[in-house]
Amino acid sequence: MRKDAQRIILAAGAVTALMLCPATLCPTLRAQSPTAIPAATRLNKDFVDEVGRTVRVPQPVQRVISLAPSLTETIYALGLQERLVADTDFCDYPPEALKKPKVGGAINPSLEQIVALRPDLVLVTKSLNRLETVHALDGLGIPSYATDPHTVEEIVSSTERLAGVLGVPDAGAALAADLERHLADLRQRLSGLPPRHVLFVVWSDPLISAGKNTFIADALRLAGASSIVDSSQDWPQMSLEEVVRLQPDFLVFAESHSDSGQSQFDLLAERPGWRGLDAVRNRRFAVISDAVNRPAPRIVSAIEDLARQLHPEVFSAHPEGEKEKKIPPSAQPPLSSSLMASSDGDSTLLEVCVCAP
Amino acid sequence: MRPLTFSRLLLHCAILSAILFVVVVIALKLGAVPVSLYGLGRDLLRVLFRQTSQLSSEYQLIIFDIRLPRILLGIFVGASLAVAGASFQALLRNPLADPYVLGVSSGAAVGAIIALIVEPHLSLAPAVAALLTPVGAFLGAALTVTAVYFLGLRQGQIDSSTLLLAGIISASLLSAIIMFFMATLTGGNYRGMAFWMMGELSTPPQRIVSLVLRFGFFLAAGAIYTTASDLNLLLAGEKEAMHLGVDVRRVRLVVYIAASLLTGLAVSVSGAIGYVGLLVPHVMRLLFGSDHRILLPTAAFGGAIALVVADTLARTVVSPAELPVGAMTAIAGAPLFLYLMRRRLA
Repeated sequence: MRKDAQRIILAAGAVTALMLCPATLCPTLRAQSPTAIPAATRLNKDFVDEVGRTVRVPQPVQRVISLAPSLTETIYALGLQERLVADTDFCDYPPEALKKPKVGGAINPSLEQIVALRPDLVLVTKSLNRLETVHALDGLGIPSYATDPHTVEEIVSSTERLAGVLGVPDAGAALAADLERHLADLRQRLSGLPPRHVLFVVWSDPLISAGKNTFIADALRLAGASSIVDSSQDWPQMSLEEVVRLQPDFLVFAESHSDSGQSQFDLLAERPGWRGLDAVRNRRFAVISDAVNRPAPRIVSAIEDLARQLHPEVFSAHPEGEKEKKIPPSAQPPLSSSLMASSDGDSTLLEVCVCAP
Repeated sequence: MRPLTFSRLLLHCAILSAILFVVVVIALKLGAVPVSLYGLGRDLLRVLFRQTSQLSSEYQLIIFDIRLPRILLGIFVGASLAVAGASFQALLRNPLADPYVLGVSSGAAVGAIIALIVEPHLSLAPAVAALLTPVGAFLGAALTVTAVYFLGLRQGQIDSSTLLLAGIISASLLSAIIMFFMATLTGGNYRGMAFWMMGELSTPPQRIVSLVLRFGFFLAAGAIYTTASDLNLLLAGEKEAMHLGVDVRRVRLVVYIAASLLTGLAVSVSGAIGYVGLLVPHVMRLLFGSDHRILLPTAAFGGAIALVVADTLARTVVSPAELPVGAMTAIAGAPLFLYLMRRRLA
């Protein structure tokens, strides 16, 4: 009763019918469709990006799309905002960046929008964007340049290199020199001071901190702090028990709106286990700009801000030479010195209260 | 058994492919970047008449290099899931069986992730490395099917509720394993891993992978189709089918391997997408009857139509951002499934 022959003919017929329509259409099309941007008469220059790919970039670069908030900030810092044709939904600094056309999120940008804007170059960063996005751009013939800084030093050098790719090496060198100057000044002020043990709160519920291999950990080091978190994971979820055991001197919050850091502190302080923390009991916390979360030039000012809050004694109005004499390391105010939020609560101005032991 | 009339099958397939064509054209038109229907039609005609040099270059990259490949991916993934679902439902004689419910999709996802983890440690040629994920997904799917099948046995017979429980528990265990990987792995390119949980079509697979997907679909679906008459007899029960001369062991082997291949391939390019494999065969059964010689091809078309529609919604509803297509199929699929269930009870 089996109608094998008929079945096989049927199956074969169905297969060929299906094969004929879309499956075969696509490859021929792909072969025939031209590459993305008419390279025409423009010169190309090869660069090796920070993940080791060789990228052919049309010169001069006139239309750039940034797929990360940090890269958008860097472009503005280099004064190239006119060439930025689009950025992501999360690019909120400087505020003008909000007005740029958007291509969706960093993880899942709209390839259609990117193609429609005909960029010369798309900027990506390894810590945020996906490899698949880069592959897809490659397939569409759109060059993409990837950055991958892991320390503050690398953020500076990465910025300078990116300026070279974008054809403004002088602006890059000037910006890098300025950042280096600030960092050197900071290093000098903080030399010899014992680091503050801090808990950097990336997210409070659940409690997420930054691991030791992130640029945030490096930024904390440069600000005269050391993270109590010693995790090789980049964004470890911390248990409260562990935090209580490690007893940080300070909690550090990064906020885009200056007074929400304090409300975040108050929220944490209300939770049962947190009252056991000395830092919470003594209201020792620092609030800095969320620039610290982004591998962009602005991180240096966030580092300075944090250093000021953690080590106010070396940032007095006095010139450096005098200050060194006035507050020798031995006379450092002990840990009982606490940063108190001003009582009116609407200001982020933190006053120092040195409680004599 | 009612003899299969060739013309009836052709008619159904013709209707469904016409619907699929309309859906594809609409899907090509809609998207983050607006494209006029006129421009689209003109470009499509030029392609049909092989005058590709005259294509308006304005949006052809968007239409032919971004939207069309994604639609094709949706067609093959949807068809694979629906055929796998229809054959699981027949073989296990269980209307609730589908790759997602049985944990096969989660198993494929875990296999794919493990492949992703070991891949950097093996120095493989790029083409081989790209194929490691589908292979891992297939192995994960096949292992899960085997495990769930044996867990679902009761005194040597498949027991519906035991099988479903085994599938659901396996799925949640495997999802927990995926969560574990997501929480502990750092440094690699695992950011896209959430997509194995929810399912999405926005990531274009590498060329070799999409070729394997298409080829594997025809191979596996063809293999399942050769058992279509046997699946009809199996509906009466395994013993009964055996008495009617069906080589049940062979059918089971063919269908499990082929359905695992379909699921593994689909999951490796799109993550775990639910409801397509569950619902589409039911709808097709309501429309065209439960003769598998007709059900299997119509389910393939139905799955393709359903997933292309769902993905078009997923990428246009909150444009330019996107929803995972798995969320879309669940939003549409769950109420429809409940409706069908109530209707059957009534």
